[in-house]
Amino acid sequence: MSVRRYLAVSLLTICPVSVASAQERPYFVTYDHYLEERRSLEIAVATTTGVPKRDQHKYTAPWLELEYGVTGWWTSELYLEGVTTRGDGHAFTGWRFENRFRPLKSEHRLNPVLYVEYENINEASRIQKEIVGAGSVEFEPIDELKEEHAHELEGKLILSSAVRGWNIAENFIMEKNLSESEGVEFGYAVGVSRMLGSLARGSSCRFCAENFIVGAELYGGLGSTEEFARAEQRHYLAPAVAWRLGDRTSVKASAGFGLTEASDRYLVRFGFAYEFPVGRR
Amino acid sequence: MRPIILATACLFTTIAAVAGQPQQERERAWTAPAAADSRQNPLPSQPGILAGGKKVFHQRCSVCHGEDGTGSNRGPNLMTVRVQGQSDGALFWKISSGNTRTGMPGFSFLPEAQRWQLVMHLRAGKE
Repeated sequence: MSVRRYLAVSLLTICPVSVASAQERPYFVTYDHYLEERRSLEIAVATTTGVPKRDQHKYTAPWLELEYGVTGWWTSELYLEGVTTRGDGHAFTGWRFENRFRPLKSEHRLNPVLYVEYENINEASRIQKEIVGAGSVEFEPIDELKEEHAHELEGKLILSSAVRGWNIAENFIMEKNLSESEGVEFGYAVGVSRMLGSLARGSSCRFCAENFIVGAELYGGLGSTEEFARAEQRHYLAPAVAWRLGDRTSVKASAGFGLTEASDRYLVRFGFAYEFPVGRR
Repeated sequence: MRPIILATACLFTTIAAVAGQPQQERERAWTAPAAADSRQNPLPSQPGILAGGKKVFHQRCSVCHGEDGTGSNRGPNLMTVRVQGQSDGALFWKISSGNTRTGMPGFSFLPEAQRWQLVMHLRAGKE
């Protein structure tokens, strides 16, 4: 059974369970302060397609995301990721395990969330869930890159606010490759978004404004403790939209535009998420 | 590498211990600030607006509080005197803020009008 068919069958199998509120957000890189609901599981599939500036091969990096609300202030996520490159084969590129902790009980003007992630990936990884350090994506053959393993520890300080219907989120990222004696790499992500529409209509509607969230995110690398390397940094500006298809499902898309010479020309991303409750309160 | 694994294990043990606090303790002292408590629902009570509130409740709240708001094994009964005795402003604040200790998510990402529609729906359920 192909991976695509397996995912489709899995999603159809879990469809009949009861309603859960999908906390759809349009961001792919930026995190806000809304955690997964307690005892709810979100299954998401997404892809990053990169269009390089020069003659390198286009690539598509799909990933599967399992996000679980352990408590009201603790969310865990597991990622499985891969890559396929036109004319250069494909590979499984590893897994990531992340945890987000929201220390404050209620909502404030600025809501901090602490993020810790362990990554067991290889150098062929191209999902670019975050961008740190400097230097463009490596374009050596996939078969060579997948043999170079990396164990990385990543931390983020997430700050997020709800202001007059807008969400404004800022992420400060630090990453250390535990497999190499290189410095700590830095990155950032900033996002703004808002739900369209105001009052909810009484009837159910798929295309009305209240089902759409629009926004934009800006993200990139900021060098490392060893070198700032401004000329080699990658930065992207990405308008994004999320569409709530039903009570449990949402899709989102973004088109990232490379802002520097080292950036790819475009990063196009799509995602589909399905959320459902598991267990008691 | 080993100290990092050890530190991570300690961190998660501590977190798991804190997460195991009794529910009662976590619900203690969840009260709206005075300014929020005194706010009035600005929406007129019209059938269309009320129907919108019912729809949002179904989408966002019913999985924990039940379709009729009387609660389930995931969330408390919202028709009790303890909940219904609170002001519209307090309910609005609690819907917006959430409470990470009890697992009540915050809905500040919804437009303000939709949160007031939820308050209106809660009041209608009582009648």
